[in-house]
Amino acid sequence: MVSGIYFCDIKGRPILSRRYRDDIPLSAIDRFAPLLADLEEESSVIPPCLNHRGIQYLFIEHEDLYVVALSTSLATNAAQVFTFLHKLVEALGDYLKTVEEESVRDNFVIIYELLDEMMDYGIPQITETKMLKQYITQKSFKLIKAVKKVKATARPPTGLTNSVSWRADGITYKKNEAFLDIVESINMVMNQQGQVLRSEIIGQVIVRSRLSGMPDLKLGINDKGIFTRDPETGESQVTAGKKKSSAELEDLKFHQCVRLSKFENEKIITFIPPDGEFELMSYRLTTPVKPLIWCDVNVQVHSKSRIEIHCRAKAQIKKKSVANNVEILIPVPDDADTPSFRYSHGSIKWVPEKNAILWKIRSFYGGKEYSMAAQMGLPSINGVEKPKFKRPVQVKFQIPYFTTSGIQVRYLKINEPKLQYKSYPWVRYITQNGDDYTIRLN
Amino acid sequence: MSDQRIFAKYKANELRAELQVFDVKKSKTSAHKRKDALRKIIANLTMGNFTEMAFLYPEILKFWKIEDDLEVKRICHEYVRSLGSAKPKNAAEALPYILDDLDSRNEKVQIMALETLVAVPSPRFLEEATKTIISFINRRVIPPTVTKTAIYASEQIDFTENATRSHLLTLLLKFVERENTEPTLQVAALHALHTIHEKNIDLQPLRLPIDVAFKLLDLLPQLNEWDKALTLDSLTTAAVPESHDDAYEMIDIALTQLQHVNTFVALNAFKFIAYLLNYVDHVDENLIKRFSNSIVSLLNKPPEIQFLVLRNVILLLLSRDTPLLQLDVSYFFIEFNDPIYIKDTKLECLYLLANHGNLPRILEELEQYATDIDIQMSRKALRAIGNLAVKLDKESASDCVTVLLDLLEFGVDYVVQEIITVFRNILRKHPDDFTSSVKELVKYNDSVQEPESKNAMIWIITQYSCDIPNYLEVFKVFSSNILEENLEVQYSILTSSVKFFVKDPVPETEEICLQVLKICTEETNNPDLRARAFMYWSLLSMAHSSKNHIISAEAVKSVLDGELPVIELNTKLDPLVLEELELNIGSIASIYLKPVSQIFRSSRTRHLLQSPVLNKDRSNLKILSGSTSTVNLEGFDSLPEMVSHSSSDRSSSTAARKKMMNDYDKPAEKVNQLKGRRKSSVTSPSKISRKPSLLVRKLSMRKPF
Repeated sequence: MVSGIYFCDIKGRPILSRRYRDDIPLSAIDRFAPLLADLEEESSVIPPCLNHRGIQYLFIEHEDLYVVALSTSLATNAAQVFTFLHKLVEALGDYLKTVEEESVRDNFVIIYELLDEMMDYGIPQITETKMLKQYITQKSFKLIKAVKKVKATARPPTGLTNSVSWRADGITYKKNEAFLDIVESINMVMNQQGQVLRSEIIGQVIVRSRLSGMPDLKLGINDKGIFTRDPETGESQVTAGKKKSSAELEDLKFHQCVRLSKFENEKIITFIPPDGEFELMSYRLTTPVKPLIWCDVNVQVHSKSRIEIHCRAKAQIKKKSVANNVEILIPVPDDADTPSFRYSHGSIKWVPEKNAILWKIRSFYGGKEYSMAAQMGLPSINGVEKPKFKRPVQVKFQIPYFTTSGIQVRYLKINEPKLQYKSYPWVRYITQNGDDYTIRLN
Repeated sequence: MSDQRIFAKYKANELRAELQVFDVKKSKTSAHKRKDALRKIIANLTMGNFTEMAFLYPEILKFWKIEDDLEVKRICHEYVRSLGSAKPKNAAEALPYILDDLDSRNEKVQIMALETLVAVPSPRFLEEATKTIISFINRRVIPPTVTKTAIYASEQIDFTENATRSHLLTLLLKFVERENTEPTLQVAALHALHTIHEKNIDLQPLRLPIDVAFKLLDLLPQLNEWDKALTLDSLTTAAVPESHDDAYEMIDIALTQLQHVNTFVALNAFKFIAYLLNYVDHVDENLIKRFSNSIVSLLNKPPEIQFLVLRNVILLLLSRDTPLLQLDVSYFFIEFNDPIYIKDTKLECLYLLANHGNLPRILEELEQYATDIDIQMSRKALRAIGNLAVKLDKESASDCVTVLLDLLEFGVDYVVQEIITVFRNILRKHPDDFTSSVKELVKYNDSVQEPESKNAMIWIITQYSCDIPNYLEVFKVFSSNILEENLEVQYSILTSSVKFFVKDPVPETEEICLQVLKICTEETNNPDLRARAFMYWSLLSMAHSSKNHIISAEAVKSVLDGELPVIELNTKLDPLVLEELELNIGSIASIYLKPVSQIFRSSRTRHLLQSPVLNKDRSNLKILSGSTSTVNLEGFDSLPEMVSHSSSDRSSSTAARKKMMNDYDKPAEKVNQLKGRRKSSVTSPSKISRKPSLLVRKLSMRKPF
């Protein structure tokens, strides 16, 4: 259990604190900044969990802030703490737009209120912003008004103890719409020869619901491997351990609104959505895919004079598809200068602060192949022999109307038993690069 | 109005003046002013300005009467809470007001009052708090939020009388069993029960009746995410299956929660199932697959959570002989943008996962990391390769050695240091297999600089002197400036010079030996070094002087240059510790891989409770793949008491090791335990080094290129 939550500035000094339990000394947080400084001096490895005189400091970094949770017991669930801290920052983000030192200082009253509501005695409570917003209204600067509002709605809505804790009663919209975004991020590591060392697809289904009442939604998706029932599953239900199910299944993660048992038994995704935007589900596939954007990079270093880089980029996607905002970041030595470029498409510039050149192509049609050549000078005097630079080429892209896995929404049924309104589901697909779409240079 | 101004230090007198501002004409603005003053008090308390603010007690009590403004109420309560421990007398004055608030019609005020009661550490407050909590839990008509607060508050108080405590416990248990209440309250009660049992060691561990446990599990779908996780957490060890079927049924219910997006829920479901596996006789392979997949998908979370999951992967890999996880190594390949602590942990996972089959892939990756731009990373990768060579069999080791020799040609300073250091361990594990590489290594004689690599180099030269024709020349590089070396290296030089002489008593070696002994006894001022030199000296003189042949030269040789025991990397943890850690998956303890009991002796440790179906031996779990069983478990079946067997096994092996151990080469580090706050900077699971902490510091020093 968490004993207290603290917001600290970039140096680790506390800005705002909320203690939930009395088992830590008040001065405990003041040790945080020196602890960080000590570690910084000693090594660059600062794990998100520190221990000092029996007090555990668990923290996450966000913008120029450290959000720190203190606890005294090793039995404290770190999963709980980290998940909560992330949720907290997320909720604050909904209130304050940006969560950083300045906005925290400016809005400490509302943050105190939020901290009060989101955690009791170190145990997380309601963290859904939509629910919180019902009785903590944002009037970040006009504090007095905010207080009055609180008074008027002093009774927490019944939703807090309801089973549907993520949605309030009585939401109405003129036009009832639900937007479904299917976003697939590709993580891929390749070597210079075009061999794929690792690839995975991380998919997210993001729903933005603008629906009245308490709608019940049913989502149908085409994927065979995931959603059709294994014929054997029906019978072999003797014991849990023995149950059979297809392999891809376990990679699914659902929002808390999805009825997991219904999915488990019937493979149907049904849910009462929270109001507004949320991630309905995420999935992961490890089926090997070929690189969507492939770059053949060739680097020649003529020591003490210049470096030559040739890059051929190819969009290995359907002819009809197009990759937007393609960015190829090619590393160059940090002492290279005087760049000169030759290229057929897009724009190239040298980004000295990243020690790289950046090739941007606004739209890259399927099957097309573009190339570029760059030449940069290297200093003729070279003091010490430097170790080879080993940074990979990083690629960014977005491909709309396309999913790599082939997942498709068959239907999205919206049913509100009381209101029976007409509703409009919208679906969009997009494939983009993940955090790690890189080509290693030898 | 800016909040910034509120966060400034004030004197009590200034604020007192502001609090008394009262202007009949501008009643509204003056009210704002007073409220601002109140806010300033709280801001000052946050900043630690206690002594000044404590003077304002009487003023605050006046404000208590203001009924209609929640913020003022909140501030008053906050004030008493912060100063309660420092000024119990003043807090007592506030007590009647707080008790008044308990009967307020506004539930928010009620909650505030109750929280304040619990927060102030004084006997009178405690007494009132206990009374209030019990009456709140008993009453049915009060709002659920208040009941919930009361239940959570019950966890906080230290009971003075056992009678009250057991009364409360029965109340809570009744609450858990109660039908038709809000599920979230039941969970709160369950959690309170759990916590009170954990906190008070004199109580028996919590064990719920099996039907209650099932009822709670059935609640899961109705709960919000945090409550779900709390339920799973509290039920671990509290819900004890009576039969295999019970256990399977529970697993079935919990299995769905593995897919929850909230890591807290998923990880607790994981823990709960892992716990239940102690009560079943076999598991399906698919379950293992699901397990592994659910863990892998958690690796796509923010870095802190990823870190936690990786630490737990290490724990699970260490814990069982038949692992609960089947993971592909590629998930642990390091990404360019990973924070360093994640890279570190991934390296450890790679090391643990390595086996003969996947070694080529892992080596390829490690080789990449070894040429990484980050020095630390590079060194850790090299060390990992070295450790793999020690961990695995001869054939795999030779692959590792090839990679290391390739990298040695790279010639970068720190790479050389690291490789020389790891080579000593490889040579100790496989003494006769890589003699040919020794010559390669000795070429880098001049470039070793760090004490550890010097030590290693000296050891290698000494041990393989017969393969190096000019070994004395090489050795002189070190022995000639022995006085400038640090103590560790001085020891090595001393020992080696004596060894050379014992091995091959010719005038050249005698000269060096005498020279070193002389320097060590006459010119150094470290008593330990001197004592050791004297010891060697007298030993040699006993054997070689003509007068008294007390010991034969042979005996001296066997003492000084005896056969070295084979080293082994011990990556297993104590089974009891593992049991506890496995019941604490996701906790802070799992990050450090340290049992809770080691640090907090007072708190209860989690252990498996008895049941007719409890497996005596955790490695006895059969994994069935669909139709046919592929795992051959005969080995396990023949050993009914695996636990005792393994412990005796261990003790015998350590005894054997002790017997053969020489004092100048320390045995492998026993367990992979993270040391204190420097936990993740420890390079790889188990390494052989004289002083791990020193080594870590060296490794982690930032060096400019």
